[in-house]
Amino acid sequence: MANRCKPLHLAWANKYRPKSLLDVIGNGEAIKELTDWVRSWEKGIPKKKAAFIFGPPGVGKTSTVEALAHDYGLEFVEKNASDYRTEDAVKRFAGLASQYGSLYGGRRIILLDELDGLTGTSDKGGVKAITDILKIAQCPMVLISNSAYDPRFSTLRTNCLLIEFKKPSTSEVQKRLKQISEEESIEAEDVALKFIAQRSGGDVRSAVNDLQALGQGKGILTYDDVSWLGYRDRQDSIFNVLKMILYGKSCSSTKQAASVADVDTDMLFEWIYENVPAHFTDPHDLAEAMDALSLSDVYRGRIRATRDWGFMRYVVDYMTAGVALARKNTKSSGWIPFRFPQRIQMLSRSRAERALRSSIGVKIKRKNHISARRATKEVIPYLKIIFENNEEMAAGLGKWLDLDQEMVEYLAGDEEKAESIFKLMG
Amino acid sequence: MSFEVWTEKYRPKKLAEIVDQKDIVERLKSFTKSKNVPHCIFAGPPGTGKTTAALCLARDLYGEAYREHTMELNASDERGIDVVRETVKTFARVRSIGEVHFKIMILDEADNMTSDAQQALRRTMERYTETCRFVMCANYSGKIIEPIQSRCAPFRFTYLPREAHDSQLMEIAEKEEVKLSKEGLDAIFEVCGGDLRRAINTLQSSASLGKPVDAKVVYAITGKASPVDVHEMLKVAMDGDFIGSRKRLRDMIQKYGVAGSDIIRQIHTEIFKAELPEKWKVRLAGIVGEADFRLVEGADEEIQLSALLARLVEAGCDFRNGK
Repeated sequence: MANRCKPLHLAWANKYRPKSLLDVIGNGEAIKELTDWVRSWEKGIPKKKAAFIFGPPGVGKTSTVEALAHDYGLEFVEKNASDYRTEDAVKRFAGLASQYGSLYGGRRIILLDELDGLTGTSDKGGVKAITDILKIAQCPMVLISNSAYDPRFSTLRTNCLLIEFKKPSTSEVQKRLKQISEEESIEAEDVALKFIAQRSGGDVRSAVNDLQALGQGKGILTYDDVSWLGYRDRQDSIFNVLKMILYGKSCSSTKQAASVADVDTDMLFEWIYENVPAHFTDPHDLAEAMDALSLSDVYRGRIRATRDWGFMRYVVDYMTAGVALARKNTKSSGWIPFRFPQRIQMLSRSRAERALRSSIGVKIKRKNHISARRATKEVIPYLKIIFENNEEMAAGLGKWLDLDQEMVEYLAGDEEKAESIFKLMG
Repeated sequence: MSFEVWTEKYRPKKLAEIVDQKDIVERLKSFTKSKNVPHCIFAGPPGTGKTTAALCLARDLYGEAYREHTMELNASDERGIDVVRETVKTFARVRSIGEVHFKIMILDEADNMTSDAQQALRRTMERYTETCRFVMCANYSGKIIEPIQSRCAPFRFTYLPREAHDSQLMEIAEKEEVKLSKEGLDAIFEVCGGDLRRAINTLQSSASLGKPVDAKVVYAITGKASPVDVHEMLKVAMDGDFIGSRKRLRDMIQKYGVAGSDIIRQIHTEIFKAELPEKWKVRLAGIVGEADFRLVEGADEEIQLSALLARLVEAGCDFRNGK
């Protein structure tokens, strides 16, 4: 195979960087605007001597300028943030800009990349120096930044042609991924490529990196291979993990998904438990999925009972593969949002109440020869009825159990009533 | 009407006062006569007199000063291994002064102890047999490890038979001047199923309304005491709304602290009351039984019960489709 000879360590994001403007994905209008401006230099120095390109990371800003230089045979000079941090540093390449062409007669394009890299006040001199260079520039200069509206660049902006680069669409990214897979002789499922493209959110560079991480050295790339991908942000992560578990098709991919989740197993369990019903709408599938969770939970109980953490593997098996493979009849019906585990939310909300209940439980335990736990569950409901209905009896019990006002209030469920019970208690 | 908790007020003080569990009481009496008590396991369902029997045994042995020679520990609250190592050991190793030269350690709800703690306990029991005897109360003796079981004399407590249950409650009603009707008594028995503690709690809270205690009052009270509309929850599930029924379940468990075992018992009762083909009832009972078993194995109540609800949603769907 051809790709065997290619060096494997080369980053595909560089290897497949567009050589020509024709290879650049999307942003057709922006590219045309930029090209027209560069060509206008052939007729003499235009009013705006610099173009200011802005847009999110990984959408091809730098690549476009490179490709442009290539297509029009311009000498390409690239400078990064470190080159213009201070006024002195900028002045060092000022000479390049003030000359019309290169030593060899061709024309030159100067790219000042990563303008965002200029930070704080110490770099102020840098921005000013760049502005100065623009005045004397004799060749096209391109400035690149993620945001155009940073106040530090206000003076720069007024002297530049503003060009915005937007995120390419998923299908555009997917198309590019397909080309690369073909070049690399990878037989990739469309859904797999689509998944990578979607996940990248228009960042072509990260999409290509993902494709390389997952596909390099493989002949075939399936959805299951990509679905457990590493994630770039937390919230995103748990959603993706859930998606892979609830919609997984094989044991290995769902189990892998659990292993990359950045929440612990118990929390992941809660996430799955919360979201299973909405994503398994067929009653049979739901019952099977819940049964898998139930069995997973049985093993958690066994861990508690035996302190043998080896059982954890069965906990994970059931909650991931067990749940995923319960899906038989439920079709995926569009996008259903994942919900934060309500049980956890409720648990923390009712924490104060439970604390109060258990302190009453301890009082009951002292007098009643039963555990506080049992008292809380079995005696408090009866006490509540008595406290709500019979102030005299409540006062007697309150005194006998040595309850404080807060406890009486909780049991009576009414401040006024609690007040008079408390008075009767003396 | 008095203002204590009636379960305490009417708890028998001496073995002779215990009306039921005759065989057990006779054996215990023989222990007090000979002033020797082996390690014991009192196993049986809640509200059948295990703790009472243990306390009576102690009182009969030591007289009113029994507290000096007895320690009551609730394994459900203090079930870790450290408690066994420290509290139990400290108590067990010091010889009792007096006629009876050993102390009594009552370990309530012992089946809730971790198996590690039980292992530690086994050593302590052996080492300090001379100075301390253990009475372990448990719902399920099966949850007590073999080596401890083999060191103990087993006592099996059963639910009070109907007559004993009735006579106890009528006696209390009379002393408290509460009008308790025959129907009220029936209702209490139906709801509490021979669990005397629950029965007395139900009677007292019913009496607190200040009306004669009849079936209507009892059902109203128990409906409130377990704000568990299990019936409604099951209906919602059988109608196909899993999320709705899970919400109800969650409220019961989290807001009202209802025990999973109680909920499952009620589900079981409800199923046989439901208007379903007989064949279905048996099928559903099997599903409930499996959930019950998993609960006993120490799993999470909400998870197990909601898995059960999912099965009922499934059954409801099959049922509507005539399967």
